[in-house]
Amino acid sequence: MKKHTVSAAALLILGTALSVKAQSGDLLIKNGTVLTVTRGVMERADVLIRNGVIRAIGPEVPAPPGIRTVDVSGKYVIPGIIDSHTHIALAGTNEGTEVNAAEVDMADVINAEDPSIFTALSGGVTMVHTMHGSANPIGGQNVVLKLKWGKPSEQMLVPEAFRTLKFALGENPKQSGRAGAGPPRYPQSRMGVNAVIRRELMRARAYMEEWDRYLAKKRSPKSPPDSAPPRRDLRLEALADLLRGKMLARVHAYRADETLEFIGLSREFGFKIACFEHIPEAFKITKELKAAGVGTSVFLDMWAYKIEAAEGIAHSAAVSVKDGLLVSLNSDSGERIRRLFNDAGKALKYGGLTENEALKLITINPAVQLGVDRIVGSLEPGKHGDVAVFNEHPLSAYARCDLTVIEGEIYFDRESYLRDRGEEAAGKRPGDDKGGAR
Amino acid sequence: MKKIVPFLCALFLFGLSGLRAGDFEPVYALVNCRVVTVSGPVLENGTIIIRDGLIAEVGPADKVAIPEDADVIDAEGLTAYPGLIDSHSRVFLETPREEADSPDASGPETARRGFHPGAQAFKDLKVKASDRDNLHRAGFTTVLVVPGRGIFSGQSVLLNVNGESEEAMVLRNPAALHVNFVTERGVYPSSLMGTMAALRQAFLDVDHYVAFRAAWTASPRRFRRPPYSMFLEALEPYVVGKKPVVFTCENQEDIKRAMRLADEFQLNVFLSGANEAWRVVDLLKTTRPPLFVALSFKPPATSLYAVQGDEFKKKAEREIYPANAALLHEAGIPFALTSYGLSGPAEFVKNVKTAIQSGLPREEAIKSLTLVPARFLGLENVLGSLEKGKIANVILTEGEIFEDGTEVRTVFADGRRFEVEKAPPAAGGTPGAPALTGAWEGKIQSAMGDLEIRLELVQEGGSVSGSVKSEMGTWIIIEGTLSGNLLAFTLQAVIMGQSMDLPFEGRVAGDSIEGSFSTSRGTMDVRLTKSPGC
Repeated sequence: MKKHTVSAAALLILGTALSVKAQSGDLLIKNGTVLTVTRGVMERADVLIRNGVIRAIGPEVPAPPGIRTVDVSGKYVIPGIIDSHTHIALAGTNEGTEVNAAEVDMADVINAEDPSIFTALSGGVTMVHTMHGSANPIGGQNVVLKLKWGKPSEQMLVPEAFRTLKFALGENPKQSGRAGAGPPRYPQSRMGVNAVIRRELMRARAYMEEWDRYLAKKRSPKSPPDSAPPRRDLRLEALADLLRGKMLARVHAYRADETLEFIGLSREFGFKIACFEHIPEAFKITKELKAAGVGTSVFLDMWAYKIEAAEGIAHSAAVSVKDGLLVSLNSDSGERIRRLFNDAGKALKYGGLTENEALKLITINPAVQLGVDRIVGSLEPGKHGDVAVFNEHPLSAYARCDLTVIEGEIYFDRESYLRDRGEEAAGKRPGDDKGGAR
Repeated sequence: MKKIVPFLCALFLFGLSGLRAGDFEPVYALVNCRVVTVSGPVLENGTIIIRDGLIAEVGPADKVAIPEDADVIDAEGLTAYPGLIDSHSRVFLETPREEADSPDASGPETARRGFHPGAQAFKDLKVKASDRDNLHRAGFTTVLVVPGRGIFSGQSVLLNVNGESEEAMVLRNPAALHVNFVTERGVYPSSLMGTMAALRQAFLDVDHYVAFRAAWTASPRRFRRPPYSMFLEALEPYVVGKKPVVFTCENQEDIKRAMRLADEFQLNVFLSGANEAWRVVDLLKTTRPPLFVALSFKPPATSLYAVQGDEFKKKAEREIYPANAALLHEAGIPFALTSYGLSGPAEFVKNVKTAIQSGLPREEAIKSLTLVPARFLGLENVLGSLEKGKIANVILTEGEIFEDGTEVRTVFADGRRFEVEKAPPAAGGTPGAPALTGAWEGKIQSAMGDLEIRLELVQEGGSVSGSVKSEMGTWIIIEGTLSGNLLAFTLQAVIMGQSMDLPFEGRVAGDSIEGSFSTSRGTMDVRLTKSPGC
């Protein structure tokens, strides 16, 4: 049979991407400056990954026979970067037609062929929390993925992660009726957003109680044999899972006042908030956030791009960290995602975080927020071999990611990518058989 | 007055015995032909006896006696095959216009535009002789006619293309329920994840409806009767009764979504479309759903092969996607081939040849259009091969089927004979009809501003295919029809990664087209003029 070889200069942008050959998850990264994040800095150290898991970190780790070895002398090795809030790798962003769309699940629409995945890898990102948008007060269920470019969507899912549900406050959910976007939809105001979320949570509580009553009755020997179960309502079931603590809220919020009101809702109904998103006014309410045990996921130095972002400051992340909050940086974008390490670097300038505090914003902190800090977020034996290698210190303005590894497999290698791209463009080598790559 | 009485009597008697003109088909004896039985060996010199709509006898010339009453057809130099089966067709359906939303149509519980599981393709059939002739020319005697668009697009009907009335063509009605991974515009569900959630809720609601009704039936005086739902009643035979549910899969993720729903709700799932089936071979090997594979080679909009620009997309369309069927065959996965997404039977035949060139053995191509779909549809005992007792769907070709230059000469459908005329000239269906093939330029006018577009149209008889190019990308035209000067098609638009269907209707007058796209928020007018360059 004819071999379906696709050469093509058209593969340029994704060159190395899909030529990921069968890999074993075994890799030895030698002679780097290893920034472990949780266990200090090790000069001229090796990271040994076997079967996708870090086995050893230190100087002169003995190389198992035949293992694939990469020498990174003079370079910096850090844990794979984690983006706590983005919307890449999805075939859809908002189910914005209803005020409550808690039943929709982004796990149903993973798009493993989104080129943003490769873009993210080129910036050292190995894991994303990819989310429903902010069109409605109660959005959908989000999903955590490892960016295993070229692998099928189901292999990207991270089963260890928390289940999370998106909420949105402020301008986005209340501007549903703006010109050209169809008929106005309640709510049109911040108090409306709060009221509608309370209404839906009350419905969910009633639903949960109805089921509890039914199940209790069913268990009792006196129950009539023919009692039909209540109707299952996927929308309220998702909110009931939030109320039962099986899911955590991730809340798009800008202003301090509405944020505090939402914390009030969580106390009233007894559900957990994992994180407030963006929240440019976080620096005003760090004590309240700390008392509520809620972290933030923010842009480092982006504000004033809309009215409710007017009072943001670049020092907010650093102030929040110093006041004891769990802070992560996020991209919210398929482009900004490749330079999260630049954003982390800015935290040294704005607010004077230490290097390690700044690195935490894009590694272990988001890992904790997503419930995956036992497997990723720092370089320690026993954790997954998710690693990014930089030519300079990753917080330097001159830093560039050279190598991105997930579970010991190389998903981005700048050198071979550029070589392949150059040779393909010059017509010197045929492209690989990308068609049957997996 | 008196004269009419015997006529009425005759009519009455005919009615009683169920006889109609078509039932007086002669007995046929096809002699001296090469017979490709599909289920057994090829007979180099065979005889087929057709009587009363069935294959009365088939075998080597020396073993089959020619009945005295037979009309003998000397098929010297011809080859007989079983009539082909197209398991996903839009033939005989006028493109139905979807009803406009009522302004309050929102919420998952209310009736929505794309949720009509009770719709029956059978009720929309408009059988035209020209469509029938086009099918016969390509060798088709059986078609599964699948109703229009929407998430639950309705129930299909399986027809034998025998030239009779709609009812007399029916092999099975309804044949299956059809589900598409599409979205609504402006109302729930407006996103793919919303569609998945809405499908799940619908399937759950059927179970609850049935349980509730049973509880009430058992003790009707204990509680108020459950409200009646036409929507859930229409779904019940498919969700509870496990009749076939066909999911149209536009890409590999759709296949996974369909199989996930099959697993969660224990549905009897069939997959249609599936031109990326080759990318999920392992999943298909373990789950083994019946596969109706479209012979469309266009990479889906989500595909890595499409997101890298036109050049690569076209290359993939030429070199990668045509091998889908061959790769499935190599993996040992049975499939039927369909014309879904193609402009008509002529393009289908062309694409079968391309699939064969891409590695699909010819005999597998034949099986995938005869015995395999017959088996998937549960009609293996009456369709799909030339065997004694099966329905007399037989085609006679000059040359081997799917060879260049081969033509279908004669078709028997339910034992009724059709001599196939040569194809009419490619341009224009009916005489005097406008010729659409070429490039058209103009503007879509909307509240958000004007959008310059360029259409590339290809017209083959009454069907129209092509694409629409604008600064928002290139979108594919599906289900295009031209009847008289009325042009109707559905544009598969992809806006910000979301695919949505925009129905178009307009009138052609010489070198101009005037019409409109309908959306849930009203219509957008379009004026087009033919580009002189083409």
